Amino acid sequence: MGKVLYIDYERCIGCRACIVGCEECSGHDHMSRMFVDELNPGETVATSPTPCMHCVTPACAESCPVQAISITADGFVLSASMEKCIGCKNCTYACPFGIPRVDDVKKMMYKCDMCYDRTSKGTPPMCASVCPTDTIQFLDEQELKNHSPKEVQYQWDFGGTTIETKTVIGLPDTRSNNFGYYDGEGVQS
Amino acid sequence: MGHSQNREYVQREYDAIERDGEELISTHCCFCGMQCGMNIRVKTDSKEVLGVEPRYDFPMNGGRLCPKGVAAYRQAEHGERLLHPLIRKNGKLVESTWDEAMELIVSKIKGIQAEYGKDAIGIYSGSSMTNEKCYLMGKFARIGLGTKNIDYNGRYCMSSASFGFNQSVGIDRGSTNPWSDIKSADVLLLAGSNTAECHPLSMPYIWGARDNGAKIIVVDPRQTKTALVADIHLDIRPGTDVALANGLLHVMIEDDLVDHDFIENHTTGFEKLKELVKKYTPAHVSEITGVAPEKIVSAGRMFGQAKNGMAMFARGVEQHATGTDAVSTYVNLCLVTGKIGRKGSGFATFTGQGNGQGGREHGQKTDQLPGFRKITDPKAREYIASVWGVDESEIPGPGLSAYELLQALGKEIKCLILACSNPIVSSPSIAHVGEYLKSLDFFVAIDMFLSESAELADVVLPSTVWVEDDGTTTNVEGRVLRLKGIDRTPGESRRDWEIICDLAERLGRGKYFKYDSPEEIFNELRVASKGGIADYYGITYEKLDKMQGVFWPCPTEESEGMPRLFEDLKFNFPDGKARILAFEHKGPNENISKEYPIILSTGRVVYHYLSGNQTRRIESLLNFCPDPYVEIHPKLAVKHNIGDGELVKISSARGSMEVVAKITKIIREDMVFVPYHWGKSLAINNLTNPALDPNSKIPEFKVCAVKIEKAESMGVKHG
Repeated sequence: MGKVLYIDYERCIGCRACIVGCEECSGHDHMSRMFVDELNPGETVATSPTPCMHCVTPACAESCPVQAISITADGFVLSASMEKCIGCKNCTYACPFGIPRVDDVKKMMYKCDMCYDRTSKGTPPMCASVCPTDTIQFLDEQELKNHSPKEVQYQWDFGGTTIETKTVIGLPDTRSNNFGYYDGEGVQS
Repeated sequence: MGHSQNREYVQREYDAIERDGEELISTHCCFCGMQCGMNIRVKTDSKEVLGVEPRYDFPMNGGRLCPKGVAAYRQAEHGERLLHPLIRKNGKLVESTWDEAMELIVSKIKGIQAEYGKDAIGIYSGSSMTNEKCYLMGKFARIGLGTKNIDYNGRYCMSSASFGFNQSVGIDRGSTNPWSDIKSADVLLLAGSNTAECHPLSMPYIWGARDNGAKIIVVDPRQTKTALVADIHLDIRPGTDVALANGLLHVMIEDDLVDHDFIENHTTGFEKLKELVKKYTPAHVSEITGVAPEKIVSAGRMFGQAKNGMAMFARGVEQHATGTDAVSTYVNLCLVTGKIGRKGSGFATFTGQGNGQGGREHGQKTDQLPGFRKITDPKAREYIASVWGVDESEIPGPGLSAYELLQALGKEIKCLILACSNPIVSSPSIAHVGEYLKSLDFFVAIDMFLSESAELADVVLPSTVWVEDDGTTTNVEGRVLRLKGIDRTPGESRRDWEIICDLAERLGRGKYFKYDSPEEIFNELRVASKGGIADYYGITYEKLDKMQGVFWPCPTEESEGMPRLFEDLKFNFPDGKARILAFEHKGPNENISKEYPIILSTGRVVYHYLSGNQTRRIESLLNFCPDPYVEIHPKLAVKHNIGDGELVKISSARGSMEVVAKITKIIREDMVFVPYHWGKSLAINNLTNPALDPNSKIPEFKVCAVKIEKAESMGVKHG
């Protein structure tokens, strides 16, 4: 079976090595396609990386007026083709996760393409390669979805529309700690 | 996967991607003590450094890198690199030739030595250098210059752990265990270590232990990322570690969770400790530390009941005027429960500097000779004199420790040679350090960038970056590693070891410094360390390549080193027993007062390294964290009418600075925190306390008394 990105929120330390690493992939022109979000700034240090979710039915590709966004045989959604992209930002508006960016100077969309130069050779993408905490891993898709050691999410409800993604999220165990959802008064004095 | 010692690490079986016209240079990161393996991508024809490629097969990190590690290579082609020697003329540093610069240095050194004696020359070096350079610096000071006054910035970093380990178990290797052992622990006690930010590549091991069911106890005044996911977070008031550890020992003794057989057969001093900790009841310790009594009880039981466990700590425990007491008190946790000498049981300190371990083993500490030998030991002096081919009387005695050395500038010390360090950012009370540096008769700095300290020098010599040099370092585990350099020296830059050897030659001491390569220096270091505590004799470059690093001690050529210490439960004292030492809580050197009612603590962020001389120049790292900030709890912020993002003036008895407020619940209400990686007006070390631990001479960076107020002026932003 194919491999996909697995993101374990609980392990993220917010170091942004994934962002710096993404810049190192050939074909990325030193422009990162990865994001890291602070989940509850001021309350906790909890963070999470946000790569492209590589939707099974990608709204970005479906909305593209020039069909510049292709999907590989193993289901990864690529950045727009340089030859075709007109920089219209339809993909940006269509994506429910807010992932594709447009370089306004080059009039070019760019997003995570799963480091296709690496993953096509069986090597993990740069974000998963460098991630110092194994927050981002490149793992077998079916095993993750069927036998993951912790609760995972790969289906998302957007106002009644369900979107399935190849990127799989490992959900924090909020029974053992308040990861990212901390609402106390902070540490004691 | 390679040598058997590496089987349980987090390496991965992927191939590094290779590209046409490029070659991959297998080396290690230049930053913290993890010394992660990495491949540097180099253009084959021009030797231009192009990027980084994961080195999946290196056991310690398996290709993983923190943001500093990924971006480290960007120093190599950086436009601000020093490419020519600089000499101060009419107040300005101007380009010169090597001959002019070196002749000026030699004539000044000779003149100052003639007038004030040999000890008037001081060397302040660094622990991010290779073992070869650290060894060479120590030898150059004693034999090249004949001065006793050499010390290094590791004094600010690892010295309390070093002294504490020596007094407890008789040997100072930063970790008793290989890092792969962490995954086998049933409990991990992480004290004073913001592991996630300062040693991110330890996290696969810590999270790995957690995956296996290990419990995690974090002792930290801030709810760091590591603390957020811990089973128990002991939110300690800074400077009270001795009391807390004594409280944990109290609980374990009270509940009879100690290992009586181990204590009886392999330790001394337990009865004294038992007596002392009687009064450290959870309620009493809670008053001192601010940690809830029930959490102290839970943590004591959690650590005591576990079969295997490790106590791991860092600067939060060590950078105190009582840092050595705290280290030994935490070591006690392992000794009284018999958690030592086996997989998943032991103690460690997280090494801050790249070669913090090796840098303190081979003689650049003022009180040491190579192989961890004491410079006052007649036998050690005799042996090293024979290795160096000098008379024992030619080796000076101990000189001044790092901060004392800086205080002596312009007084006993008239000339300073500074290498691989930036003390005007990293020292406490730096306004004074600036005055000391300016009062020198002559000041030489060797660096790859013009650091804040080098800006004050009379001569600046351009050195290479780490990817341009060969050598070895010793990582957090005590594993000696091989760095392989690219064969290039941009502009007129030269490698540090070549600069030192040239200087020795010009001083008429060249016959003691005849080396053609770092390997030749290493081979002499091996002999010099032979029979010492840190015995490298059996380690060769060939073995390092074959085994992906060798753990010391490695006393013979047949030996493959010792990843785990004390498996025979023999400790490094004549009676073979570890020493359980009892220390009372004394508290910080400086207490809060009516005028300065808040505790200031300092530390690191993941994007920067030490004084920031390297990482502040790398655009992506600087963009993530361009300026320092002060973390303030919302309740404390309300008291002072300070809002998030507003400018705050922080003042101590030594100085003040203005810095942006970051209001956050992750910090205690009675303290503030500021990272220390910036210089000049952005340096928190304008405020910190230079009080030293009497044993290790480490300054008390982690606690000083301050006041905060809303600033009226606009702060100076980083340029």
